[in-house]
Formats: sequence, C-alpha cells, structure tokens
Amino acid sequence: MTAQTIPAADQAVAPPVIELANAARWYGNVVAVNDVSFSLGAGVTGLLGPNGAGKTTLLHMLAGFLAPSAGTVHVLGRSPHRDPSVYRQIGLVPERESAYAFLTGYEYVRFNARLQGMRNADSAARAAIERVGLEDAADRAIGTYSKGMRQRAKVAGALVHDPQVLLLDEPFNGMDPRQRLSMMDLLGEMAAAGRTILFSSHILEEVERIGTEILVLVSGRLAASGDFRAIRALMTDRPHSITIRSSDDRRLATTLMADPAVFAVELKENALSVQTAHLSAFRRIIAVAGRTAGVRLMEVVPADESLESVFDYLVRR
Amino acid sequence: MALIETASLTKNYGTVKALDRLDLQVEPGIIGLVGANGAGKSTLIKILLGLVPPSSGRASVLGLDVADETREIRKVVGYMPENDCLPPDVGATEFVTHMARISGLPRTAARERTAEVLRHVGLYEERYRQIGGYSTGMKQRVKLAQALAHDPKLLLLDEPTNGLDPTGRDEMLDLIKRTGTDFGISVVVASHLLGEIEQVCTFLLAVDAGHLLKAAPISTFTQRTPVLAVEVEEGADRLTAALTGRGFKARQEDQCVLLVLESETLYDAVRDTVADLALPLVRVQQERRRLEDIFREPEQGLEPAAGGAQ
Repeated sequence: MTAQTIPAADQAVAPPVIELANAARWYGNVVAVNDVSFSLGAGVTGLLGPNGAGKTTLLHMLAGFLAPSAGTVHVLGRSPHRDPSVYRQIGLVPERESAYAFLTGYEYVRFNARLQGMRNADSAARAAIERVGLEDAADRAIGTYSKGMRQRAKVAGALVHDPQVLLLDEPFNGMDPRQRLSMMDLLGEMAAAGRTILFSSHILEEVERIGTEILVLVSGRLAASGDFRAIRALMTDRPHSITIRSSDDRRLATTLMADPAVFAVELKENALSVQTAHLSAFRRIIAVAGRTAGVRLMEVVPADESLESVFDYLVRR
Repeated sequence: MALIETASLTKNYGTVKALDRLDLQVEPGIIGLVGANGAGKSTLIKILLGLVPPSSGRASVLGLDVADETREIRKVVGYMPENDCLPPDVGATEFVTHMARISGLPRTAARERTAEVLRHVGLYEERYRQIGGYSTGMKQRVKLAQALAHDPKLLLLDEPTNGLDPTGRDEMLDLIKRTGTDFGISVVVASHLLGEIEQVCTFLLAVDAGHLLKAAPISTFTQRTPVLAVEVEEGADRLTAALTGRGFKARQEDQCVLLVLESETLYDAVRDTVADLALPLVRVQQERRRLEDIFREPEQGLEPAAGGAQ
C-alpha cells in the first residue's frame, strides 16, 4: 500500500506544528504504528481507521505518553516524550473514562489547570467549563454525570490551558445530537483561531462536516493523508460513479454511451448509474448530452465522492 | 395491535421526572428512538421491559401490560443492552444457548436456535472461542444474537453501533434492517446518530425532558424541500447571473447555486444554461430536510431549511 499524500499549499510557509518522520511504535511483537510520516499545520484533521489500526497509539505518542520505537515525533519542533514544556502546549481528550468520579467537574478542570502550572486556575477552569456548556453541572461529582457530560468535562480539562495543539480520541462518543452539533462548532472555532486539532472518529458523516483534511491509518500504516477530495481524485483505478434521474433514462443512456468519457451506463429503477474514468470530461458533457437527447435532468448526484466512499476504497481494497 | 402503547406514563427518581405523562401509540416497524442524554430514553426502555415499575400511568407492549404481565413480555421481547455485559470466559455458543434456555426454550430447541441466530448475525468459526477475546464488532453481534435467541416479536436495541468502526457499523445496520424486514420482527433502535436512524428506521420517536417531542414516519422528516441545488466546479457566479437573467430566483453559495423549484421548466433552464456557459456540472439535487433539524434551535424547528433562498 502506498501512502497518498497531498501537501496543503499553505503549509510550506509555516513550520509544521506536528511532524512525524518514519515513526513506529511496537509492543513486543505487536506493531501498532508502522513507519508513519506526515506533518500538520493549523486547522482540524480527522484521524480515521478501523478498530486496532493504531489511532490511539499515534495520539499517545503525540501527547508524550509513549516514545516512538523508531523514527521521530515532533510537536512544535520538539519531541513531546517526557518534556513538560511541550505538554503546556498540548491538550488531550483520551478515549477512556479517565476523570475521577469523586471530583466535581469544576474541581477536575481546575486540577488540570494547576497541573499545567496556571496561576489563574480558578478563572481558567470557569472559562473552560463555560466553553463546553457545563456550567449547570460544574459543582456535581463527575460520578453522577451522563456519558455526554463526562465527555465535555474531559474536553474542558484538555483545553483549560488554551493549548496550541488539541488531540481528541473519539470525542463524540456518548454525546447526544445537540451536544454533537455544539462540539463540532467548538472544534471549528478553535481551528479558525489557529489551533491544530487532531481528532479520531468512526462517524464519517460527522468528520466530513467538520473538515476535509484526514489521516487514514490501516494496520498501523498511513494509508492516506490530506484533503479527501484530492485523495479521491488520485484514485485513478477507481472509476467515478454518478447517479442520474431524468425524464427519459433510456434515451439519455444511449446518448451518453456514445461519449468517450463514459464507459458504462446501467439502467436502474428510476435512475441511471453512469461510470466514468474522466470525471472532469464527464462534467463538461452531461448538460450538453441532456440537451442533445432532449431529456430533462432532474437529478445528477456523484455517488462515490463522499468521505464514506473514499474511506471504503482505502480500507477495503 | 399497537406495538407500544403508553398513557400518562410517568417515572420519578426522587425529585427528578424522567418521564412526564408520556402518551405513545407506536405501530410495528423499525423505530428509531432519539433524545438528548437524560431525556428518558433508557427509562422508557426499562419500563417497556418490565424492569422498572412506572410511578404512575400505564404502558403496554404488544398488548401486554408492563405492570402485571412482565413474564409474558419477556417471552416476546429481546433486549440488547448498551454496556459491555458479556461473560469473558465462555464461548458465544454456550452463552447464547444459556440465554435461550433462560427464556424458556428446551435444551434441543435452544441449541438449534443458537446455531441459527449466530449464523444470522455472522459469527461462524469463532463462536466456540471465548468471548473475552472477541473484537468490539463480534461482541456486539453476540449481544444481538442473545436478544434474538428466543424468537421475539420485538427487539429493543440500545446504541447497537457503539464502538464499531465504519465497516462494523455498516454491517450492524444492515443486520438490523434485515432482521426487521426479512424476519418481520419489530425493532426499536435507541441511538444518537441521526444518520443511522435515517438509514434503517421507518418511524421516529423523539423524546425530550420526559415528553414526546415528535412521533412520525421518518419520511416526514426527510422530505424534499422546494430548493434545487446546482453545483458546478467553477463559474457559479456566471450561472447565478444567467439564471437570474432568465427570471429565476437564484442565490449563490460557494460553487453552489440554490434555486426555488416552482416549475419543472427550471430543470430545462438549468440544463441549457450550464450547457451554454460550458460549465462543469457536479451536482443537481433537490435539497432534503434533515432529521437533525428537530434538534436545532426551536424557532427553526421543522420549518423548511430553504432559509434565505426566497
């Protein structure tokens, strides 16, 4: 498997915030992360991969919990492992339920602020609690929280020291629809404020709504990184599929089949499925083809350009 | 017969009202149950299973009253809990057979049913291995299998895709759909993922603060809006101008032109304008409402998402 990497245009100027070079991590004979290289600047990136692909190990290396077994991991130009000065710039929301049940939400967040050596721990904790919308429950023990509330307490604890880098392992887990929407907004705001955010998730529809930059790990290796739409464009071995609904599918099919951009057309129930290897050429001829055939185009929808399809192609090949 | 029926169903935990005079009438199908954390979803499920008595009001499942026909209810209802609740040191076959026997099946029938349901959920060679060594996806399948073991008429699934990766999620959703359509078993799926509910369910129940927020077929929440979105690779500004020039109401949003679909002639105008301007056409699609709109700000509610397109 070769990694498909699209360098973002503006990253060339600013030095990368996160940089991995041939980084690997193994546990005994188990290779969790294998020869991974990439760099990230400001903005939000989704970390995707099947269970057991190495996402959590990667996040823990970035957070400084684990040293790479080989290669290098740099955050803001330094190796984060056992370097508290780097920790000051990192916020981590772990996947596990790691908040102490007997502390109140406020105490937990304030404790994190003090761990980071903040002088104004009280006001910082209040601000972080407000940021995640947990004011009403701040003075209750975390043990009494619902999953969504615990998740938000963890997020508040991670961003209380206003870190440059925010790492989140499945932050949406257990959140209800409204909480998910507000968490998406929060990540978007932080990214717009110039922070570097890397979050793992299995819910591809949500990842797609937060941003287009992704990292995909499969069996410990980097399968792809960059803008998923550009990654899709690079998959020249995968023809593009377009679903069309028209006033006369059969007539349109005949006209389309005559065009060299199209190599397969399938008549389905109330729709046409068109396969093309030359997407941009197809996009330039479809309206003309409709007019030539005298067919009304009610719907033209790309069928495999979503993050879901891209992920599927990367993982299930 | 109604699948689920409740009348002024109320449940108090101390001073907290988990359910507040809830009235429901749900017909068989695949039903999505959504609501904020703490809205009363779990309480409702527990009451329907007969695990928790209501504080006041009535509830019945398949015509059986939860107050005094609990044993009958357990015969016809299968339950897949959300948390990790499987014993680690037995195999799936052993565990599911045990659960089937608890539900009252004789030994031989329990064995046969177990083999059948494990195959249905997609567990093969691994079913003799200890559950403790299973992946999350396999564990979720075992949980579903034990809920199906006694051939219930209703399945209650609490966040069945929790912890699953994209492939595992797709497989589980497909399994739920097949269970509902091929076997004719009614399914209630509690989930926070509205995309999932849209994908598999036929009916939506939304609860909020112990009240019923919405109860209607899924299709009513995902209806098409009178907004036609036309996306081009480039030249959306020229397309907007040309269509406005032809007398259509058009608004540009990035490389997308949003139009109000008042007459079918709009389709032809779009096709011809795109062809005349020689623009690369990405997408023509009537916009749909989304399930999540019911969780947006109340004033937006179920109003058409068309917004400023007018």
